[in-house]
Amino acid sequence: MILSDSTTVLNAGLPSITEAVPRARVLQLNWRPPAFGDPAAARLMASLQTPAVEAANREAIAAVHAVRPKLVDVRPAREAIGFLASGRRLLHAGPPIAIEDMADPVRGALIGACLLEGWAATPEAAAQLLDSGAVEVAPCHHHHAVGPMAGVVAPSMPVVVVTDPEHTGTRCAYATLNEGLGKALRFGAYDADVLARLRWMGGTLGPVLSEVLHQAGPIDLTALIAQGLTMGDEGHNRVVATTSLLARRLAPVLAGLGARGVEVMRFLADNDHFALNISMASAKLAVDTAAGWPGSTLVTAMARNGVEFGLRVAATEDRWFTAPVGPADGLFFPGYGPADANPDLGESAITETLGIGGFAMAAAPAITRFVGGTPADALANSIEMARITVSRHPVYQLPALGFVGSPSGIDVLKVLDTGILPLINTGIAHKKAGVGQIGAGVVRAPQEVFLKAIGPLAGAIGGTVDDAGGGGTLP
Amino acid sequence: MSQNPAGDQPPLHVETYPHLYRDSVALMALAAGLEKLDGVAKAGAVMATPANLGILARSDMLPPDLDPAPDDLLVAVRAEGPEALAAALEQARHELLDAAPASGGPGGPAEQPPRTVAEGIAACPEDAPAGLVAVSVPGTYAAVVAQQALASGQHVFCFSDNVTLEDEVALKARAAAAGLLFMGPDCGTAQLDGVRLGFTNAVRPGPAGIVAAAGTGAQELACLIDRAGGGVSHIIGVGGRDLSDAVGGRMTLQAVDRLAADPATGVIAVVSKPPAPAVAQRLMERLAAVREQSGKPVVACLLGVDDAGGSPSVVVRDTLEGGAEAVVAALGLTLPDDELAAPRPAVPGGVLGLYTGGTLAAEAKLLLGRAGVPHEVLDLGDDQYTQGRPHPMIDPELRAEWVARAGERPDLGVILVDVVLGAGSAADPAGPLADAIAAATRAARAAGRDLRTVATVVGADADPQDPAGQIARLKAASAAVTRRNAAAVRAAIALVGGPR
Repeated sequence: MILSDSTTVLNAGLPSITEAVPRARVLQLNWRPPAFGDPAAARLMASLQTPAVEAANREAIAAVHAVRPKLVDVRPAREAIGFLASGRRLLHAGPPIAIEDMADPVRGALIGACLLEGWAATPEAAAQLLDSGAVEVAPCHHHHAVGPMAGVVAPSMPVVVVTDPEHTGTRCAYATLNEGLGKALRFGAYDADVLARLRWMGGTLGPVLSEVLHQAGPIDLTALIAQGLTMGDEGHNRVVATTSLLARRLAPVLAGLGARGVEVMRFLADNDHFALNISMASAKLAVDTAAGWPGSTLVTAMARNGVEFGLRVAATEDRWFTAPVGPADGLFFPGYGPADANPDLGESAITETLGIGGFAMAAAPAITRFVGGTPADALANSIEMARITVSRHPVYQLPALGFVGSPSGIDVLKVLDTGILPLINTGIAHKKAGVGQIGAGVVRAPQEVFLKAIGPLAGAIGGTVDDAGGGGTLP
Repeated sequence: MSQNPAGDQPPLHVETYPHLYRDSVALMALAAGLEKLDGVAKAGAVMATPANLGILARSDMLPPDLDPAPDDLLVAVRAEGPEALAAALEQARHELLDAAPASGGPGGPAEQPPRTVAEGIAACPEDAPAGLVAVSVPGTYAAVVAQQALASGQHVFCFSDNVTLEDEVALKARAAAAGLLFMGPDCGTAQLDGVRLGFTNAVRPGPAGIVAAAGTGAQELACLIDRAGGGVSHIIGVGGRDLSDAVGGRMTLQAVDRLAADPATGVIAVVSKPPAPAVAQRLMERLAAVREQSGKPVVACLLGVDDAGGSPSVVVRDTLEGGAEAVVAALGLTLPDDELAAPRPAVPGGVLGLYTGGTLAAEAKLLLGRAGVPHEVLDLGDDQYTQGRPHPMIDPELRAEWVARAGERPDLGVILVDVVLGAGSAADPAGPLADAIAAATRAARAAGRDLRTVATVVGADADPQDPAGQIARLKAASAAVTRRNAAAVRAAIALVGGPR
């Protein structure tokens, strides 16, 4: 006997091939060319679809899930991030990019940062300073930091310090404090109001939060965000529940701090997105655990600098795979449209990299309206993302899908095999520095970055798995 | 209230809904919908919070004299003309007040059918796990899908062609190492424990196990065995290149071993074009060993190989007919009488074979050549004839055109055709063919010539096309019809005056 009476036949291709097989025994695949129709990439993909790579991915994501990030402090960036400790240095979002190639909002944010740091007295002087090469810039991701939109971090800005000594040792993750909606540095605005708010954040908000955390902290961010997910957040575009939970947690201590405490409470009350940056740092701390994991094809970073989308994968560690990025297809605030939009920007996709945000849409049906969707679409999004991930988050659960874990751990191989690209919830920045957010939407990571990654991944992994017996045999 | 345009913008109109709340996402969707309407230049829908009023003001969508409360809802529209404005405001009103509160349908998410081999395997029920993947995707990707299937422990039926020789060797090596079958590439026919894949016939189950490099060869063999009262345990396709030097008969040898060990198989037949000499020797040695160890009769049906080349224990036959005779003899059966009466006198001219089945064409060519009659045999399933059209077993029109054109050729006495029935084949292959035969016959007669047609119908009585009906259709078009290719060829030879 070759096939048992109960064997199912999978059919990839013409339905007529299996027309003589009883229908109940045939599963017709909705097959389409893998690797977005790139045959060479498809072969490399198949060569890495081995038990060894599967095992490496399972181990890597388990290590990521074991991390329980805690919010322990808020410190000036120069004290927390070594790169910013001295000199004229700034961090920015996304893969590396030269200052002269930067998108206008990022450039605006750098100008604002120079003004904030007192390196220049006027925007024109700041621009000259940047163009002269006197300011050294680096991507946030190179320094365990993440930033939304322009992602600019300056030495005097307070950053959240997130860590989990038990699992990450001395490694921490950092993010700036969210400024709120409207005109903000992260959209490239640097007028007097923006700078005044940043100074208040540096002088009051940061120190007060640090003081509060020393009394009320550390705060278990996994538990906080998980609770937010059960209250309609997805941990990225919608963090109003998590923000509220955090504010409630801090309120008793803030209330004891007098006027300074009230100011901070008011700031938290007015800013629905305050928890976004904290969610990002939390995700960054966890995902970085997989960076450099031998033999693993898990995505460890997705970030945009307003010109390019960058992808990092575990086995290729620090290497960026980049492709030009387009504007988000979303809904726009009154008076604005796609022509006003800057190409997609920011590092908040670290949340999707972990498996919340666009991957946890089922928890936040309201977010689907950004693409004119329905609650059913929200469920479909989370179900679809499970097709390109290797695991489910053990704590971040999706109530509407029977409390199943949010799909977690994007596998480059699964993206190429299914042709399903990661969904990323995003805000849309105006292409002119300083105008601010003009809409929001959902984007898909560009396929090019996954196609670019597969060759180097095969190079990095191939030699190590062939001997394990599971390696590809296609020449 | 309305306001005159600033610059060349259409006039702005703002409608206020007091104390109505909708979330900003719903309102953005509403505004986007309004902007899609003809004549609407700009639209905005917001809760009248100070921040939102600021946004409206910056985009020049806020009239200066408006003073709403923060819990009012504003719909601002710049439209060309009163009709466009009215339509936009009506749509906004409908969405805000008439339509159900912002929410999608109550139904669950749309189904996401599995796309990949891995997803397919995961989607199979626990009590009916996947065991075989049929691959008919474009050749460029066939090796990838086949590799994924083999890596997941699946047998592969690879209908796709354009798989490179290197890939074929690699995939077959991998399959052999895992004890799996890789049937193909370019494998048209397989039947495993009653699971029929590709072009197959509804033959009854029985003891004959067939290893086939040739699709229609296996079909002819299986149908003849069926009509003799026998039955088929498995047909394992191996692809046309398996017995080449490069592939070395890997899958043929593995398939033979499987049939030797298979309790349902009582006699083993291998159908192929002549193997490469080195491979032929290896094959014959293995077949002899199988015969000795399993005690099962073994028939090697190698088209065009001299019958005398066999060993004492292995029966070698050089035609499909000879192979079928040997198999049914091993089962204690005989083939039915398929001979056609030979009309006299002979018709002048040669034989044109217009075949849809490649192995049937090969057998015809062999027999016609041996008879020494003028002949030409075309395998119309070959790429050079299909040229992007469907295979003539699937779409009979291509061959019908050839038959119709043959009516104009004065050098022809006989058209020889095959009709292959069964799964995969056209629903009514005889229909267009019969029309073409009638047309060709008429055309020849009009030119004062006698053009005959002989047809072979390959099929089992249980095939969905109804062999009896197909035969009747061809006979009505004046074709002589038999159900054995060799018998049809013999009749054609006799018709043109050749030796029988």
